[in-house]
Amino acid sequence: MDTSLKNLAQSQLIKAATDFIQKKLQGRQPVIGIVLGSGLGKLADEITDPIAVPYGEVEGFPVSTAIGHKGNFIVGNLGGKCVIAMQGRIHYYEGYEMATVTLPIRVMIALGIKYLFVSNAAGGTNLSYHVGDLMIIKDHINMLPNPLIGPNLDEFGPRFPDMTRPYDPALIRKAEALAEKEGIALQKGVYVAVSGPCYETPAEYRYFRAIGADAVGMSTVPEVIIARHSNIPVFGMSVITDVAHATDDEDYVTDGEAIVKAADAAADKMTLLFTKLIAEL
Amino acid sequence: MDPRIEKIVGAVSTVRDLLEGRKPIVGIVLGSGLGKLADAIQNPVIIPYRLIPGFPLSTATGHKGNYIVGSLGGKTVIAMQGRIHYYEGYGMESVVLPIRVMIRLGIKSLFVSNAAGGVSFGLHVGDLMIIKDHINLLPNPLIGPNMDDEGTRFPDMTRPYDPELIKLAMQLAGEMGVELKQGVYLGDTGPSYETPAEYKFYRTIGADAVGMSTIPEVIVARHAGIPVFGMSVITNEAHDDYADDYENDGEDVVKAANAAADKMTGLFIKMIEKF
Repeated sequence: MDTSLKNLAQSQLIKAATDFIQKKLQGRQPVIGIVLGSGLGKLADEITDPIAVPYGEVEGFPVSTAIGHKGNFIVGNLGGKCVIAMQGRIHYYEGYEMATVTLPIRVMIALGIKYLFVSNAAGGTNLSYHVGDLMIIKDHINMLPNPLIGPNLDEFGPRFPDMTRPYDPALIRKAEALAEKEGIALQKGVYVAVSGPCYETPAEYRYFRAIGADAVGMSTVPEVIIARHSNIPVFGMSVITDVAHATDDEDYVTDGEAIVKAADAAADKMTLLFTKLIAEL
Repeated sequence: MDPRIEKIVGAVSTVRDLLEGRKPIVGIVLGSGLGKLADAIQNPVIIPYRLIPGFPLSTATGHKGNYIVGSLGGKTVIAMQGRIHYYEGYGMESVVLPIRVMIRLGIKSLFVSNAAGGVSFGLHVGDLMIIKDHINLLPNPLIGPNMDDEGTRFPDMTRPYDPELIKLAMQLAGEMGVELKQGVYLGDTGPSYETPAEYKFYRTIGADAVGMSTIPEVIVARHAGIPVFGMSVITNEAHDDYADDYENDGEDVVKAANAAADKMTGLFIKMIEKF
């Protein structure tokens, strides 16, 4: 297809999905978007007076196929604010194009969110990290295709968006202050995004550590780039569900089920922190 | 016939018909904000990309979309006023099509230029950097069945940038009093600029400057055995830490490139005179 036609089609898809969801919201105006990572979907249970919109009902939306992911928008109250949470994200490794992976983010932006909170389950490449740690994402390294490749959607942002501060410094400071008050220990590091779906080899873990990454995962960065394109402040958090040093052991086995369990254990702390942070916005 | 070759041959035939017998021997690719070198080309024939079958249109800020064929430094040159970028959404085949066409038109060397961000702390806004080598983080433009008429399946990349041309540039710059840096250019897709963590990553692996172009063109030229000279205009500086009010935007990049473009134009002309 001609690139300008593709662009038009994408704009129309975003608009149609936004209009559809808006009708379901009965006048609610979400101000904060939240993306819930693998096993972190339980934050959605804390949202009061919720309206659920299954992705399957929204034209152009794919159905998320990943373990530990459902496929719904949940709109309701959290921390006294109207939020829209993605219970289940779309991953590049599922075989979707970047335009599809980031479609729900563009829709939340079109719905008028003022902040985006992203979360994920990640492998710790930093040797001092432990399973169950919470890490504030202070920066990222993108090894996935850039979601802005293609003609620029000018109504969403500039051709060459700045990435000097992908994660909002003021939100990071607030989160650190709250965590200290609540007695929650936090790491702070750099997230590297790779396509997956195979996990990293020990050599790849060493490579990522050498280039400055503290955690590795298969998501999040495309969503953050799309949010920053539209100048939306982002707060990001990784739950460490796997650690680098273990992968060199001869009897070490990585499995998806264990990762979902580890994420579950840390999800409560993250839910509390997100709720308190949202209450302060 | 291979449809890719058909496209190249069709474009070559259209361009050749418009050249009124001119035979360009040097190809030049002008980067963001560096298009003014084209104004120095005498007796020019201007061929808009839109007149050439199969050519995509350049949509980037600071880029026009024309071939300019004429005299520079006493030689017939063909300059690309505006290149095709991968981030615009085109396949690599389209990105390098204008280079393949210049090769078929008979160029004997290729000059490439770009606006790049400084990764090394030793580079400052307005610096000119000779590209002595590169690191490719874009898709390789030679992926696919090899076009044997253009070059070999596994082209050597030991000397992507011609050592003789680099020596010549250093010597001429010395005579002209133009200060030149030398470094490694890293090409990534963009279009978002690099994060601080990505800058650090690139520095760790040996890059001095980063940009969103050039390397696909260089690989295709080297595939065909064409010597390449490359130059980056540094339009952005690396920081270890970023002040709260630090801003980074495309307009500034174009301005900084403009200021250095004159020096680069002068150097390119002197080099071409020596051919």
